Amino acid sequence: MNFLTRKALYSRALYGGIWAAPLPIWLTVFFLGPIILLVLLSFWNVKSFVLTPDFQFGNWVKILSANYFWISYFRTIAFASAAAIIVTLVALPCSLAISFFFSDKGRITLLSLFVIPFFTSYLVRIYSWQIYLTENGIISQLLGFFTIPFDSLLNTPFALILGFVTLTFPIVIVIQSISMLSIDKTLIDAAYNLGCNSRRVFHVVVLPAAKPGIVIGALFAFIFCFGDFVTPTYLGGGKYTTLSILIADTVKSGQQWPRAAVIAIMMIFTLLLVALSSIAFAYRKK
Amino acid sequence: MRVSKNTRLMFKAYCVCIVLFLYAPIITNFVFSFNSDRFPTLPLGSFTWQWYHLAFADELLHEAFGNTLLIGLISAPIATFLGFAAAYADYRFNFLGKKILLVFALLPPLVPLVVVGLAMLAYLSRLGMSGTVEAIIVSHIVLAAPFAMAVIRLRFEQIDSNLEYAAQNLGASNWRAFYEVVIPSTKTAVFAAFLLCFAVSFDEYAVSWFVGGLHETTSVRILSFLQSAVSPRINAIGSVTFIVSITLILSAQILLMKRTKSI
Amino acid sequence: MSLKEDLTRRKFIKYGAIAAGTLAMPSLALSKTPTELTMLSWYGQAEPDAVQEFEALHNVKIKQKYYVGGEQMLALLAQSPPGTYDLIHADAEYVQQLRRAGFLEKLDAQDYSFDDYFPEFQNFPLHWHENELYAVLSRFGFLGISHNLDAVSVKEASTYKVLWDERLKNKVGHFDWHLPNLGALSLHNGNAAPFDLDEQAWQALQAKAISLKPQIRGFYDYGGILSSLKSGEVTVMPGIGEWITGVLRRDGANVVTTIPEEGGLQFTESFSIGKGSEKAELARKFIQYISSPAGQFKQATLNVFPAIIPSKKGWQKMVDERPEDAKHLGISFKPGSSMDMIREGRIHIRQLPKQQSLEDWNDFWSEYKSS
Repeated sequence: MNFLTRKALYSRALYGGIWAAPLPIWLTVFFLGPIILLVLLSFWNVKSFVLTPDFQFGNWVKILSANYFWISYFRTIAFASAAAIIVTLVALPCSLAISFFFSDKGRITLLSLFVIPFFTSYLVRIYSWQIYLTENGIISQLLGFFTIPFDSLLNTPFALILGFVTLTFPIVIVIQSISMLSIDKTLIDAAYNLGCNSRRVFHVVVLPAAKPGIVIGALFAFIFCFGDFVTPTYLGGGKYTTLSILIADTVKSGQQWPRAAVIAIMMIFTLLLVALSSIAFAYRKK
Repeated sequence: MRVSKNTRLMFKAYCVCIVLFLYAPIITNFVFSFNSDRFPTLPLGSFTWQWYHLAFADELLHEAFGNTLLIGLISAPIATFLGFAAAYADYRFNFLGKKILLVFALLPPLVPLVVVGLAMLAYLSRLGMSGTVEAIIVSHIVLAAPFAMAVIRLRFEQIDSNLEYAAQNLGASNWRAFYEVVIPSTKTAVFAAFLLCFAVSFDEYAVSWFVGGLHETTSVRILSFLQSAVSPRINAIGSVTFIVSITLILSAQILLMKRTKSI
Repeated sequence: MSLKEDLTRRKFIKYGAIAAGTLAMPSLALSKTPTELTMLSWYGQAEPDAVQEFEALHNVKIKQKYYVGGEQMLALLAQSPPGTYDLIHADAEYVQQLRRAGFLEKLDAQDYSFDDYFPEFQNFPLHWHENELYAVLSRFGFLGISHNLDAVSVKEASTYKVLWDERLKNKVGHFDWHLPNLGALSLHNGNAAPFDLDEQAWQALQAKAISLKPQIRGFYDYGGILSSLKSGEVTVMPGIGEWITGVLRRDGANVVTTIPEEGGLQFTESFSIGKGSEKAELARKFIQYISSPAGQFKQATLNVFPAIIPSKKGWQKMVDERPEDAKHLGISFKPGSSMDMIREGRIHIRQLPKQQSLEDWNDFWSEYKSS
């Protein structure tokens, strides 16, 4: 049992420390600092459009008692949840196909195809969706061919979900696929050997094993959609005021960075809650 | 999974549909980048290269693109390394305060970009760093590292933790075990994380706008075009980035294929 | 190629390159690198068509940072070290805020061609504070109702009441900024000073706005307004002007801006020198150029959008050299010109609300968007 010697323990601790330290250090300096500043900022004042350090709760009271804040808050949660669920369901058959129904070569090709859009500007892709959805746009012309009446889909919840799926699909498929690809094939074979049909195998073996990937993917989708302002602005026409739009608006009202900070902190709290519960749910062992 | 041929076909057809959906805006982007009309409307106007000329002649865009590449190539490796380190530490060790560290490490993506931007700007300007390319790099690492950590952590889940112990039992030092066991099994995940970090940095517009000052990235340039000078120049830039990305991914794919072949 | 030919070829290339380099050297030595001048402005003020003339004259290179809203501009300035921006281009409402925050250098009115300006613009109040000048008026424009002629005629657009028209349900858009929109509705409510409202008038304005919400299709930024009006998503918008419709007409849209009977608003742009600028001298020259007839002529016909200029001499140049554009801008010495509209009192300067805080107006705007 020589690895219990002090030297071994010490070198183990050092080894562990080398790995555990870098990220927290970086984040403390370059992330915790700014966030603490942000929290402090939420107590500051804005006098004659100039930011002045202070300690007062005025901003918190103002925002938390504002009707429009809560409307935006729940609207954002609703949209982000809907989008996360929809994109997870949309991606699931694809990740299944990637993991089980394609050859190695096809798998890499398909994954690459799915992921490439992630590397092209999201802004440009959302901007490009407009021509499909607008009056006299592409969909309108197509439907017009079959004389189906068409009212512009721009500035509708449908457009928002469309944009959110565009935003989150690549990352969701990657996360789901990584998880599903790593499922132990012997487990599946065993299930078949025990007489299960494919549907049963899916429910009993594949789904539970892929749960972390599915849930984490949905979590990422929720987070991205929650904080995004591009889709609500350019496909939603600013009609559905989400929290991200609200922050921009709040800043426009006379440099109200403290109030924007309040909204931001509320967003952080919410996302933290959602993230922690999702991760716990994802990795919970039965 | 064993399924009927028809089911298999249905799934594959579904994937094709999804691919079409994902590429639909990219295709129209190409088409309209050659359209003479300033605003995208149907029917199409005449064919023209003018938007590409305008885009290529834009000095600011050259600078922005250079910045984007530089920032991506510096921040992605660092972010991947930080993410890997944290994922490995989480997977391998148990220590006091580990849960807190994990929560901490997952915090950055939870903060809305607009506010990260402002907070970083205020903070970095007190450090005398605001309006620099370094500021953007630093911010991007903060944003991307958690993703790298999450992706690599997922991979670690699947690795048999006994392998490393086995290597050590056979006499390997910590580092040797690491080199022989951990690196090979996580290579692909690390590469995927790297690409992810690069993509995050490449497309990031909100924070870059704030902390970059007069130094713009391609995404910042696109955003400012969207907000003010809406024109097919946006499409032209989008088309070029798309071609560049496809080339990158395809070459990466070829590299990967070669590697698996040689094993 | 044989070895001998190859060697000769290489020699030729080598000596040719040296010769070319030597020829290039003197010209390299002669041309001085241009001085850089930084500008913080609305989009378009630093484009080649705007600054090429000045750059060539003074061997200057203008480096710009564009913003898309006054608040953004203020935020940028607040977090940048002093002297980052030599020139600041702002809307009139922001000049006092900029001054108070210490971002502007004082200017000497003697330096600029105010004598060329119409009397109404020689002492523009929003640019002065306690007899000190902080900004030089560069151009202005009117805000009324912009509309697609296929859907709304000029006659219909001569009152803000048209916004509530049943036919236009879900076809009305807003520029996502409260000031011009609420100002327009305030004029519709009959307020003589649209931004100076007592509590009762302010409540009435809010109620009026809420009643408009069902008509609204969306809240757009600059790029969004252009797209939506062009595509026909939106056919009428209050609180904007020729700065939008002038641009869209160039691209073939059938749009125009009408100043309603109740009155219109005026937006005013100006240039200032940033505090701490190390190139204040050069910045001063730029602003001088802007206020000169040549610069004014350029300002009226900028690519980004055309606008009206305050210089009489500039007007003359416009009438002489660009009569069509001058006509659209109301630049003429005949009755019915833009100046006449101002003198008749039909135009009200857009400015910050007097009796409410800016936050009050913005909070209401957020509520309005959520209603």
